[in-house]
Amino acid sequence: MSTNTTTTNATPELAKESVFFQSNHEDLKNRPKVRGYDFNEGVDFSKLFETYKTIGYQASAVGEAIDEINRMISWRLVDEPLKEGEDDDEERKVTRCKIFLGYTSNLVSSGVREIIRYLVQHSMVDVIVSTAGGVEEDFIKCLAPTYMGEFHLEGEKLRRKGLNRIGNLLVPNDNYCKFEDWIMPILDQMVEEQKTKGTVWTPSRVINRLGKEINHEDSIYYWAWKNDIPVYSPALTDGSIGDMMYFHSYNTPGLVLDIISDIRAINNHAVYSKKSGMIILGGGVIKHHICNANLFRNGADYSVFVNTGNEFDGSDSGARPDEAVSWGKIKLDAKPVKVYSEASIVFPILVAETFAKTFKKKSPEELKLNKRSIFD
Amino acid sequence: MSDNEALDVEDYAQAGSGASLTFPIQCSALRKNGFVVIKGFPCKIVDMSTSKTGKHGHAKVNITAIDIFTGKKYEEICPSTHNIDVPNVSRKEYTVMDVQDGYLSLLDAGGEVKEDLALPEDDIGKEITQMLKEGKEPLVSVISALGKEGVVSVKVSNN
Repeated sequence: MSTNTTTTNATPELAKESVFFQSNHEDLKNRPKVRGYDFNEGVDFSKLFETYKTIGYQASAVGEAIDEINRMISWRLVDEPLKEGEDDDEERKVTRCKIFLGYTSNLVSSGVREIIRYLVQHSMVDVIVSTAGGVEEDFIKCLAPTYMGEFHLEGEKLRRKGLNRIGNLLVPNDNYCKFEDWIMPILDQMVEEQKTKGTVWTPSRVINRLGKEINHEDSIYYWAWKNDIPVYSPALTDGSIGDMMYFHSYNTPGLVLDIISDIRAINNHAVYSKKSGMIILGGGVIKHHICNANLFRNGADYSVFVNTGNEFDGSDSGARPDEAVSWGKIKLDAKPVKVYSEASIVFPILVAETFAKTFKKKSPEELKLNKRSIFD
Repeated sequence: MSDNEALDVEDYAQAGSGASLTFPIQCSALRKNGFVVIKGFPCKIVDMSTSKTGKHGHAKVNITAIDIFTGKKYEEICPSTHNIDVPNVSRKEYTVMDVQDGYLSLLDAGGEVKEDLALPEDDIGKEITQMLKEGKEPLVSVISALGKEGVVSVKVSNN
């Protein structure tokens, strides 16, 4: 640290004073020292990721995100001092933090889908928000695969070949035809139930039904249906599902989606949770929808954002967590983390170091803890 | 009724007894100004577009058509590989001799009399009545499709 103090007698006093401000060690007393992983200790990913916090830049953000998620997972109501009028019962031991997970469509197109499915399968998250693509791409993958492609493949040539590009992934048109053949009879049934039983369909109820119908263990939404995990998608018509609803409205008109019942349900998830955590991968609707719901409880207690957005355009997508603090979407005393990274790199690491690491198999009752009925 | 006047009806001379009311064709074979059955009504296609196979699934044909008798507009979308019914439509010209009790007295080119068609309640009906009052000889076009018949246009006979 003091290797540059080879001063000669010739150094003018003025220059010395300008360049060398005396640092005060007191200022740095509680700050960790920068230090990376030493591979002489072998290839041990767990140890490697532990050092992330002291590597710096986005590696340290990943390290902080791991800590923040671990705080979400480990919190129990029993850790809090007993409030007046509260009973110190068993319930306090099992009441945990309600975890909101949001992710964009492209992540479901990618292999991050399998990571998300793992979380939902084991009921590790409690409320999900995604967009139309984030819903349909999961079902379509149960019907036909998505393929690896290249970012640089030419749009015109792909169009002629009937291939759709998502980054460096390819989805053949045929997949969407299969999706159409699968979903149309289900939409028929939904209209029928709306007419005969008076079912009020909302995006989350539609996703719940589709999850039941797909009956496939690869599907995120199959497990969401099984574990009573609600999936909100206020823009459900903005994707292939919407295309299907458009066509379907000609043959069997009348299907109504009620987004107001859904906004009430998601807001109440936030209002009635004892503690709330947000894990948000990407931006747009999914980011704001979760943050906005948490506004009704005066802010989330734990927050992890992973996205590549920047704040200079004033978008919510690119805003740092501190902007959400100003709106009351994140609590004043929270330690929110934003990782400036593309989620497909970071999210598998986050899950490996948190949910997967502390994984304990849950009983059927435990799987349904912290849930609220979707059809109430 | 200018749309109906433009009806380009092929001569279905034998479309009377024995011929079926409709025949199926593939949606992709439909053409603008052709006929199609939508929701049970015989219609003329006034606008059509196709969307190729894509994110929305199978290729589709979007059809806008009007009921050839009532002029009511319908919209329909169907997969281009599916079959859709096309009505057998026939058109015949008659001279109006008289109107009795709200029914037209019609005479065809072969001298046959036809008296089972009501005077239309729309502008065409008024035009017929007016022409008869003025001593002119109205010549009407009668279209039949799906077991229904209707006057779709009128003009003064040149005879």
